[in-house]
Amino acid sequence: MYQKLLTILLMVFFSSQIALAQTGSIVGQVTDAETGETLPGASILLTQLDRGAATDFDGNYVIQNVPAGTYNLTASFVGYRTFRQTVQVNAGQTTTLNIVMQTGAIGLDEVIVSGYAVTTKRELTGSIASVRAADIQDVPLQNTEALLQGRAAGVNVTADSGNPGAGFRVNIRGNGSVNAATQPLYIVDGVQISFDGLSTQAASTSPLNALNPNDIESIEVLKDASSAAIYGAQAAAGVVIITTKRGQVGRTQITARAETGVRSLARNVDYITSEQYVDYLAEGAQYITGWDFDFARDNRKDFLLGFFGEDPFNPGQLANTDWQDFIYSDGVTQRYNISMSGGTQATTFFLSGGYEDTEGTAFNTDFTRLNLRSNIDHQISDRWRTSLNVNLARSTQFGVCQDGNFINCPISQAMFEAPMSFPYNEDGSYNPFTRFGLANNPAVQMNEVDRVGTVTQIISNMNLIYRANDWLTFNGLVGVDYRNTDDQQYRSAIAAPAQGGFAFYAARQVQNFNTNLVANLRQTFNGVHNVSGLVGTEYRRNYVETRLVQGNGFPGPFFTVLNATADPVTAAGTFSEWRLGSYFTNVKYNYDERYFLNVVARYDGHSRFGAETRWGFFPSFSGAWRISEENFFDVSFIDELKLRVGYGTTGNSAIGNFASRGLYSAAGSYQGSTGLRPTQLANVNLGWEEATEINVGLDYELLQGRIFGAIDVYRKDNNELLFGRPLPSDSGFGSITENIGSVRNQGIEFEISTVNVNTGGFMWSSRFNIAFMENEILSLPEGTDIRADNTFDALKIGKPIGLIQTPRWAGVNPADGRPMWYDADGNITFNPVQSRDAIEYKDGVANVFGGFGNTLSYKGVTLDTFFQFSFGQWAFAQTDFYFTRTPDFLMNMTTEVMDRWRQPGDITYYPRAMLAGTDYVETANYRTQLSTQSMNNASYIRLKNISLSYNLPTRWTQQVGLNNVRVYASAINLLTWTAWPYYDPEVAFNPTDIYNNQTAASYPTERQVNAGIEIRF
Amino acid sequence: MNKLKILLLVIAGGLLFSTTACNDILENVEPATSVSGEVVLTSPEGVRALRSSMYAKMHESFAYRTEYFVAPSAFTDETRNRPGSTRYQNLGQAVGTSGTAHIATWGTHYNIIQDANLLIGAVEDGVLPAAELNRIRAEALAIRAFALHNLVKVYGYDPGNFGVGELEGNWDAGVVIRTEPVIDVLDADLRPRSSVNEVYAQILADLARARSLADNLGTNNSFITLAFIDGLTARGYLYAGEWANAAQFAQSAINNFGGTLQDTPGGVANMFDENIGNHPEALFKLIINPDTEGGGFNNDGPATYTSDGFLAQIPTQFLVDKYEEGDYRLGWYRDCREAQRVALNQPTGCADINDGGFSLVKFNGAKGQTVDDLPFMRLAEMYLILAEAQYKAGNQAAGIAALTALRDARNAGETPASFASVQAFEDFILDERMRELALEGHRFFDLKRLRRDIRNPDGSIKMFASSYRILPQIGVGLRNVNPQLVENPGY
Repeated sequence: MYQKLLTILLMVFFSSQIALAQTGSIVGQVTDAETGETLPGASILLTQLDRGAATDFDGNYVIQNVPAGTYNLTASFVGYRTFRQTVQVNAGQTTTLNIVMQTGAIGLDEVIVSGYAVTTKRELTGSIASVRAADIQDVPLQNTEALLQGRAAGVNVTADSGNPGAGFRVNIRGNGSVNAATQPLYIVDGVQISFDGLSTQAASTSPLNALNPNDIESIEVLKDASSAAIYGAQAAAGVVIITTKRGQVGRTQITARAETGVRSLARNVDYITSEQYVDYLAEGAQYITGWDFDFARDNRKDFLLGFFGEDPFNPGQLANTDWQDFIYSDGVTQRYNISMSGGTQATTFFLSGGYEDTEGTAFNTDFTRLNLRSNIDHQISDRWRTSLNVNLARSTQFGVCQDGNFINCPISQAMFEAPMSFPYNEDGSYNPFTRFGLANNPAVQMNEVDRVGTVTQIISNMNLIYRANDWLTFNGLVGVDYRNTDDQQYRSAIAAPAQGGFAFYAARQVQNFNTNLVANLRQTFNGVHNVSGLVGTEYRRNYVETRLVQGNGFPGPFFTVLNATADPVTAAGTFSEWRLGSYFTNVKYNYDERYFLNVVARYDGHSRFGAETRWGFFPSFSGAWRISEENFFDVSFIDELKLRVGYGTTGNSAIGNFASRGLYSAAGSYQGSTGLRPTQLANVNLGWEEATEINVGLDYELLQGRIFGAIDVYRKDNNELLFGRPLPSDSGFGSITENIGSVRNQGIEFEISTVNVNTGGFMWSSRFNIAFMENEILSLPEGTDIRADNTFDALKIGKPIGLIQTPRWAGVNPADGRPMWYDADGNITFNPVQSRDAIEYKDGVANVFGGFGNTLSYKGVTLDTFFQFSFGQWAFAQTDFYFTRTPDFLMNMTTEVMDRWRQPGDITYYPRAMLAGTDYVETANYRTQLSTQSMNNASYIRLKNISLSYNLPTRWTQQVGLNNVRVYASAINLLTWTAWPYYDPEVAFNPTDIYNNQTAASYPTERQVNAGIEIRF
Repeated sequence: MNKLKILLLVIAGGLLFSTTACNDILENVEPATSVSGEVVLTSPEGVRALRSSMYAKMHESFAYRTEYFVAPSAFTDETRNRPGSTRYQNLGQAVGTSGTAHIATWGTHYNIIQDANLLIGAVEDGVLPAAELNRIRAEALAIRAFALHNLVKVYGYDPGNFGVGELEGNWDAGVVIRTEPVIDVLDADLRPRSSVNEVYAQILADLARARSLADNLGTNNSFITLAFIDGLTARGYLYAGEWANAAQFAQSAINNFGGTLQDTPGGVANMFDENIGNHPEALFKLIINPDTEGGGFNNDGPATYTSDGFLAQIPTQFLVDKYEEGDYRLGWYRDCREAQRVALNQPTGCADINDGGFSLVKFNGAKGQTVDDLPFMRLAEMYLILAEAQYKAGNQAAGIAALTALRDARNAGETPASFASVQAFEDFILDERMRELALEGHRFFDLKRLRRDIRNPDGSIKMFASSYRILPQIGVGLRNVNPQLVENPGY
């Protein structure tokens, strides 16, 4: 029904009269109000036509072939307030409009890309955060998501891993889903980016690795449902719209940039030395055997010598290896970019090329990217425009395995190898007595194993725009995101003795295609009734194909290719796809730019869902009132005050491609026959997760634009949550996916930007944002809590996702050094029971997060500092806790053990020395018993970025023919304040774990110090 | 200009056409490696593939490839951890007064039963030729009985032992019986634990029905054979203490098997080596392809646990001491460094567990990549069942004769002609079962069914027969999903 209606509507638009009009031109000059100097590079835009020009070196601009009529013209330039005026164009005449611009922040005139259309912040009725190129130009980040970190209120961005090229968890307004994905939809110049087919060789890879941050003009985050509803079923976790730079009319500008830097581990953990280890074990042995200390020490030392062998460089003694040093070392990063932009009235272009190579700190880790971008806009005639954006990228990510207690992964090996073990023998051969034998000697992992993922990706889109008349425009877009991931893993016979070495290859191809056709309307009646809107239709298909091969058995260390292997052991391949068809519309009305009304509706059909629930309808309504435009409003220091209210519905379709079907899948084999087995029970009623959200916001601008910002309050209820309702396991099935349960996220976001000082060439501006949010489960299947007694993954009504439940730690018994806990009644117990004694302790939700920064500039010198903070998340560091606090497995031990109980009366937090966690009579295993002592606060404040840049005076640079030369130095993650006792609080989660409260050997994020130069000519 | 207008109309028309046909586009998306249940259960290929899955689920699961064989040894006194190794350390350290470590796998057995139930109850006659379908049904019945027995022998007291626990006077809870296929979500109803006697009745009924279809079974012991059905019936009756029936079916298994006991030093020592003896005594074994099916074995297969990999579970001196000199079965014990496929040159600490530094090489990765075939039942076990059952049924001579036949084949030394008491005989047969069946999944269950205390290798008590720890915890995970599952006492 809807489809037919929309189709007819579209037909009507197409049959509307297409009239040819006669044209005129607009010319003028742009100057600074205070100094009178001309302003080169300012942008002039006729908003109705979405056409414009940039001022040339002398501040002059020309816009030709403008159809006769009245237009709203805006002029904008960094550091100046936007100029707005209506202008009359008569056929065959040239209208002159000189523009005088006032300094100040852009504020409400900022242009915002809000989904299928461009708008200004003034017109906005929903909640959208945006980050501009100017905010981030000196931030030496390789990754697009990282640009958002701390800069958009309510958008919590955390790194998955310190592995260069790794992905991020981008959480917009909280975790609203348990079983469907919670990643936002990324759109690059209209192309919807796929999350499929990512490399598996480094545990985490960003889907946006193909983009060069230098090419990015702006990033907008559609936070609330009323903004995001235009993306319907893909928008429940928010939408991130990335817009790349485009050329401006005028002389060709060439910008070249080179930078280099060093990456190092942001934080280390202190482990004890071999001698301290022997003392510890001797003490532990004493309690069991009653030996005297010297005897116990000799005994344990002999034992360790027998176990680990003698230090090759100090015979008879134990080695004392600093494994952190061995595994982590400084990496060098280098980055080069060149871009050219310019154009004529008819054609503008932005061309860029970039190369970067970043070495990580863990051995072998590395990320390189080579990318080329070409963004071309062409005015075919006065009615037709086209643009073509092409981004080609090839990135290579050398990774290490991580995020788990794996004996062959360097991140965990830094904890698993004791100081007594050592990588090499005296003759340079590998030491076979490392903790997990030769194959898992970290030196073997370093030299005999390669894990690399190579991604070749095309992100490209072509637009064709037809302006039917001055109020109606059609825009057709075809976008492709083709990604080809080649994973390779090689292990020599030393690293994989059982297989005699192997080579593994995986090819993953993603063909992700979307196309849309949108009709844009804009009309003003009686000078005060402004109506605009759009109607569109869209189709997306995401197809992924995977092929895996593995060959075992190399004749020697000479080859690494499949042809040299003896046994082909794996030949696997599969494909999967989904399709989405949509119709959408957006109608906007405002009265005299004072009262705004915005209605959005999207009707989506998705191949993932059962026949009964395939189509979903996602409406939203929002409105705004510019109080400051009212006659009664008379507060001189307030320039702008706008109240926004929005309500809308979005959907989450990010579940398995065939989750609604009853499936038998090919799995397992016996004696050469492949098995088929039931894997999923059918559920034709499976439908969308839906989020309904109400958002109330206030935009403000004070003191001639020197202070501006916004406050938003929201409540988002995610309903119809997809849950695997557990089935009794004696049925053979684990669960069935059903739409049951709901989660609420609510919070307050506040942002403010100020220009504190702006006199005599000195400018100091600040920005600050903070978000407070809380997460609560409202309902669950059949009203019963899920895994109610579990430590980390309990889902309980009224509690947040990520609740941590654990018994209380009571400290160390001062009398005998035994660990103690509290039972449910508050009495001391030595054997706490999770199901009985655990309390609801903390959770993995970061409730307060944001960032703040200051920019100081004076005569070409700019200092920018940016801090990011996150509070409220607690987490359990599995690997550190289980393996580095007791000597059960003879692994590294943290210096915490130096604070151990030694004699009656000692009051301390670490019990008496032990040989194993089970040493204490009738006491729970100290190594494995979790309690409040095991959970740590992962809150932090981090000096995310500091940069200092200097623009060389033009009188110098022009002598050598350069317009502008800028040198800069910057650092990321330079300082961190945190109570987290282990490597890094920022990666204190597992990328695939929605509970966000556990981490196991995550690759810590890194500190990076860079210096660079930028030349424009 | 006109060209452009035409272009616009073509693009617009194309888009409109494509989107009005949207519903069709959205429907034609099919998974690559999945099909509907209807297709599987009504096509010959589908039913055969389901049968393959049923067998595959056994070797894919840790419960069958490793837990079945190794855990009952690690939990008692047959093996202990080499210093520094951790695999099954929790079982070795488990005591009768605290903790929850146990041999406790629940879902895996039901995953196997799930396929068996479909083959038994959801495939119509005529989908396959009658003989083939009956063969598959007989296999599925036997495998369902096998899985149910593996469950009930862990989770409940054996028949007749319901009063042994110190906490509950009469505890006869068994496991859930589910014999109908689960096709719709409504079939997955919540069920309580049936009593142990009900579970045994189901097991024996399944085996009887399998036997009635046994004419269709082959003699290939890598699938279910009649001898295995008899053998499993004998094992069931042994656990239930029904001696006459146990003896009858053990004898029947011996007769139906056809093969004989190995009675040469090489024949015995190499019987587990797939490249030499290749399981000549197996009534039922799973064959594993190391290249395509060895995935999990590398990390947690039985060889990885015992003699080719982590060298975790090493035979105790207590076990090694059970043999007399010259016993051919000592061929299963080898220097633990030499026994590794990739020989070790580093100190291992095996000698801390037994003086000779041996590992027990029944599972030794002979097929490569630490993979072994999995012999779930051997002829020797039938002789041991026959011996014990005959003796306890009162036919002492017949019992001793069966015992002697086995011991003579193994060159185990002289077998006593008589025993002072049933107790003395039982002590002897328990030792013989260790000598013969160590690391084959019996020790813990033998002690449990005979109400013996579990001891450490040094003879100290690990857990009394009356300890609640003899039965495992059902656990909150299962009980949260199904509140009808009652927890075993003490947890």
